[in-house]
Amino acid sequence: MSLKTARTLTVVYLALMTFFVTWPGLLPFAHVEPFVLGLPFSMAWIAGWVSGSVLVLYLLDRVERRYRSEGDPARGRDR
Amino acid sequence: MERWVLISIIIAAYLLLTLTVGLLAGRRSSDSVAGFVAADRSFGLLVMYFVTGASVFSAFAFLGGPGWAYSRGAASFYILAYGALGMAPFYWMGPRAASLGRRHGYVTQAQLVKGRFPSKSLSSLIALVSLVAFVPYITLQMRGAGIVINAVTDGHVPIWLGAAVAYGIVIVYVLSAGAMAVGWTNTFQGIFMVVIAWALGLYLPFRLYGGIRPMFERIASERPELLELPGLTAAGEPWSWGAYSTVIIVSAVGLMMWPHLFMKAFTAKDDDTLRRTVILFPTFQLFLIPIFLIGFSGVLFAGEPQAPDFILPFMILETGLPAIVVGLFCAGALSASMSTGDALLHASASVLVQDGVTQYVELDDRAQRKLMRSVVLLTGAIAYYFALDPDSSLVVLLLSAYAIISQLAPPVVAAMYWRRATTSGAIAGLLAGLATALFFYLNPELSPFEMHEGVLGLIVHVPTLIAVSLMTPRQDQDHLKGFFQ
Repeated sequence: MSLKTARTLTVVYLALMTFFVTWPGLLPFAHVEPFVLGLPFSMAWIAGWVSGSVLVLYLLDRVERRYRSEGDPARGRDR
Repeated sequence: MERWVLISIIIAAYLLLTLTVGLLAGRRSSDSVAGFVAADRSFGLLVMYFVTGASVFSAFAFLGGPGWAYSRGAASFYILAYGALGMAPFYWMGPRAASLGRRHGYVTQAQLVKGRFPSKSLSSLIALVSLVAFVPYITLQMRGAGIVINAVTDGHVPIWLGAAVAYGIVIVYVLSAGAMAVGWTNTFQGIFMVVIAWALGLYLPFRLYGGIRPMFERIASERPELLELPGLTAAGEPWSWGAYSTVIIVSAVGLMMWPHLFMKAFTAKDDDTLRRTVILFPTFQLFLIPIFLIGFSGVLFAGEPQAPDFILPFMILETGLPAIVVGLFCAGALSASMSTGDALLHASASVLVQDGVTQYVELDDRAQRKLMRSVVLLTGAIAYYFALDPDSSLVVLLLSAYAIISQLAPPVVAAMYWRRATTSGAIAGLLAGLATALFFYLNPELSPFEMHEGVLGLIVHVPTLIAVSLMTPRQDQDHLKGFFQ
């Protein structure tokens, strides 16, 4: 994956997360049942987005790292 | 031995251990301003991770978090939502700020802004704004420490004494060792907090209700309004979606603008450490789940604490836990308070001296360090004075601290990413944003959809910054080279 795609996808994930944890994106998911791991659905929904961000940032870092090690430090360092 | 005496001994042992860690760490730091403020830019991943996590999770998270879950239900979920959003952009911004810091010798964010937008008044304004936001924050941490010690010793240790002892220790290690002590004590305290939170958060629902799901099922049938988003207000009325959503936005924007957090970019050993801290940060965020479970476990419990913020100590004392566990919990809550308080005290001194005083008076390295240490004492004393006043309206002020601090985001981002931004644009934007936030803080009934005054401030701030910048002449190319190469 190219650096640009990885960065775009990360920004898209963060934008979607912002949408789905606030009004109005949160509305369809703001209910108690079904319980997930014992937690109300809405709480698990938000926790899911938070956990997903670890994965997304980790994948972004793998791509950024590859680009930095390919001897193009300026592009890797700056956005 | 009486129970409270045993608890006091455990707390004393814990405080002594913190002091030792702080003082030992100081022996590794060089005797310079870069050493005091930025720990000689030497923090590795483990320290950075806990420094950041532990300074974000303050007494507010440890006492206020369960308090919100207990009294306002689903409204507390906002605290879970904003952290990851606020931290993620730092993956790019952090290393960028760090590289500018190394190139130009910056140790605070106001220096970075002033480097790009040369203006003494802008730098002083940022220093002033940060301090105004800091004092109520420190006061709350101190009061939190005092309340915890007071509650678990059955009132034998008054709030003033508890706060004084805990913060006396903080001041000793911040004075003697600066950033290095803050880093190592936070690592120690961060590990402690995570363990205590998970242990209690799982123990209480199982002990009282037979599990997490049975607990929420009972709350859903007996107090359904608590689990319905966006939760309740402090008065128990349904909260508005406008307030819930904008609180998430303003907290996300403001989070990394707190000087004690932003300055971490200058303390990291290298850019990779900084990036990995950002990636791992949301895992720290998930530790709010057990924190909320502690609060929810109190909802259907017989009896009531004197205020929602006391729910955590209340549950621990009322569920008949052994003294040793109570003592350890207390240490965990103190960690939360002290690990934020020390970072705040340390940052307030760095900001006031570096961005305020040295603009007007020339001081050598030695004199600066001396002055910073005096400021730590002074800020500590002011915050302590307010902490003793039980009716102080600082809690109200703190709610607005995020409105103030989030206004630092546009100039910081523009300084690093927008070539066309100008000094006049940055000043005009900041003033307009602050004025708007202040106006809606004083007239909350005028706020559309009950939006947070900080977000309203940003809505005015950003267009002002852009418009005024475009109307004023471009910055000199040579000057810009220092920031965009």
